[in-house]
Amino acid sequence: MPLTLTFKSQRAAYPYFVIAGLLFVLQIIVGLYLVSNYFHTVPQSVVNVFPFSTARAMHTNLLVLWMLLGFMGGTYFILPEETGTDTYSVKLAYAQLIILVGVGVTALVGFIFGWTKGRPLLEIPFPLNLLVVVGALIFLFNVGMTMLRAKRWTVIQGSLLGGLVFLALLYLFGVPFYRNEALDWYYWWWVIHLWVEGAWELVTGSILAFIMLKITGVDRAVVEKWLYVELGLFLFTGLAGTGHHYYWLGAPTYWLWFGGIFSALEPLPIVLMVWDTFNHVRERKSPIVNPLVWTYVVGCSIYHLIGAGVFGFVHTLPQINMYTHGSQVTAAHGHLAFFGAYALLNLTIFYYALPKLKGIEKFDGRRGLFGFWTMSLAMMAMGLSFGVAGVLQTYIERILGQGYMTAQLYMRFWFMLVFAFGVVFTVGVVTTVWDLFTIRAAKPAAT
Amino acid sequence: MSTNLAKWIFILGTVISGVILLALTVDTQRQMAALTHSDQLSPQVVAGKHAFERYNCNDCHTILGFGGYYAPDLTKVYKRIGADGIKTTVANPDVVFASSWRKMPQQHVKPEEIDELVAFFKWVSEIDNHDWPPQDRNAGISRTAMRAVVGGMNLGPALFKEKGCIGCHTIDGAGGSIGPVLDHVGAKMSAEQIEKFIKDPASVRPGAKMPAQKGLTKDEYHQLAKYLGGLK
Repeated sequence: MPLTLTFKSQRAAYPYFVIAGLLFVLQIIVGLYLVSNYFHTVPQSVVNVFPFSTARAMHTNLLVLWMLLGFMGGTYFILPEETGTDTYSVKLAYAQLIILVGVGVTALVGFIFGWTKGRPLLEIPFPLNLLVVVGALIFLFNVGMTMLRAKRWTVIQGSLLGGLVFLALLYLFGVPFYRNEALDWYYWWWVIHLWVEGAWELVTGSILAFIMLKITGVDRAVVEKWLYVELGLFLFTGLAGTGHHYYWLGAPTYWLWFGGIFSALEPLPIVLMVWDTFNHVRERKSPIVNPLVWTYVVGCSIYHLIGAGVFGFVHTLPQINMYTHGSQVTAAHGHLAFFGAYALLNLTIFYYALPKLKGIEKFDGRRGLFGFWTMSLAMMAMGLSFGVAGVLQTYIERILGQGYMTAQLYMRFWFMLVFAFGVVFTVGVVTTVWDLFTIRAAKPAAT
Repeated sequence: MSTNLAKWIFILGTVISGVILLALTVDTQRQMAALTHSDQLSPQVVAGKHAFERYNCNDCHTILGFGGYYAPDLTKVYKRIGADGIKTTVANPDVVFASSWRKMPQQHVKPEEIDELVAFFKWVSEIDNHDWPPQDRNAGISRTAMRAVVGGMNLGPALFKEKGCIGCHTIDGAGGSIGPVLDHVGAKMSAEQIEKFIKDPASVRPGAKMPAQKGLTKDEYHQLAKYLGGLK
């Protein structure tokens, strides 16, 4: 007998997940085009109409959009269960989705015609910024009202709401025009850094804690206690750790000290997260129903540690960063960190929630497992290839003092490898998204 | 560990780090006015920043190390290739990178916008940012400065850079690709012929594509030609 949802309003999450999945595929396809530009000469006539910069704006904005939609969908799924009531308004949830997707599509088409604010990752023009704010306000209102009405507060929903409000507030720092380029980048990092090493970590921590609670059956008190410690460490290292972006932009020298010391501690909360995850898994009280969800939970925490923790740490000290800053070493870290911390987190919640939304208790996880390993291994190989390219660039350009394009010549081979692994990664992504969309119940014989 | 202790770790960790970030931001905001020479943010520089954003330059190029990694960093581009180098490249990327395997889009940037971009890059190049990036610390200058010493304190190398020759021509692997490489130009032409060529290329070789170079003093023509004539 198919399982029914505890709360009907959880269905609002479904379209969010579907659109996020499609945008993920699109992001990866644009990514393949981007990396081909690094080893293959694109003719001038094509470059004039569709330059690398336009494709990069699409790649990064697609990333931000699908991940935020994933977080929002995840929130709409978790919220009723945590508060014990239906979401305040499902209509508002759909209205907000329509606004945000409308903004996304307009922005992507606009980029092709040169309608851009020209600031990396924050390219969408001012009128669209306003619509994003409207969408975000509807979302926060809807979530806030649900929690207020329920009058049942948990640490998980508190940190989820805190993270979402923090996320929305930080976005505002990216909206105005700054006359001073250095100050512009100073506050740009309040959006980007404080998102990924602050607000998004709060959202991630609470979503993972929720899923952990549900699938392991460990006491809420234990899960929430460790959530407090983790988030405390994330914010302690992450807030002042913003300084690791302030070494070379014309800020005072003390940032070399504050940035270096605080960001050197940034792997600590992630180590705690991995340790914590393993503890909960070991002390589980519930049987494993869907092994793939467990694979994702554990995989997400480990990959988070490798991509964000280890690859971030290797170039965060000013003595090293002076040479690696703004090179492909950053691209290696960026890809591994976003995939490990946030792509896997989104996919974890998709794999947890989608079967339930379709009334499936135990799903067939074979294709999904293939997708997980294909993506994870291919991204690791991509990250390492970006890394080798970055080390070559650092050495040839920054230490030997050879020209920019001379270094690029030696890096070509490694970009071909990134492309090759990128194709494998695409196979993994398409398999995963296809599997999510067509998820089937496991055959009873398998149990 | 008790839940209470965990709660305190969360509160203290967040508050301490948050206060550090906010307090340092207040001080940084004050100090950066001096470190970035914000008093020199003229309307032209700000217009240059607008142009820099209008053409989405930053999604290929990095500036202060931030942005796309597809094209060279522009923090010190003004010191590296000079005003004329920037102008030539932005106005004719299709020609400058004709033989390069990576292209820059021809975006038909208006002449006044190009001047604004130059003002913007000049302002950025003067930001006191601990001399980042390391390759521009003295690479461009020292390579030419070395030749200056070899050539008996000739100003030629500096002029080659300052007057924008480097935007089209390459010496020692550095420079543009619109015109021929000049590593051994002295073997083909004498200093006198070169001087005549710089002043009016068509008079030496009819149909030459290079425009006549005006705006150098008599002595500068001489120094530049002497330097190039010495490259054998």
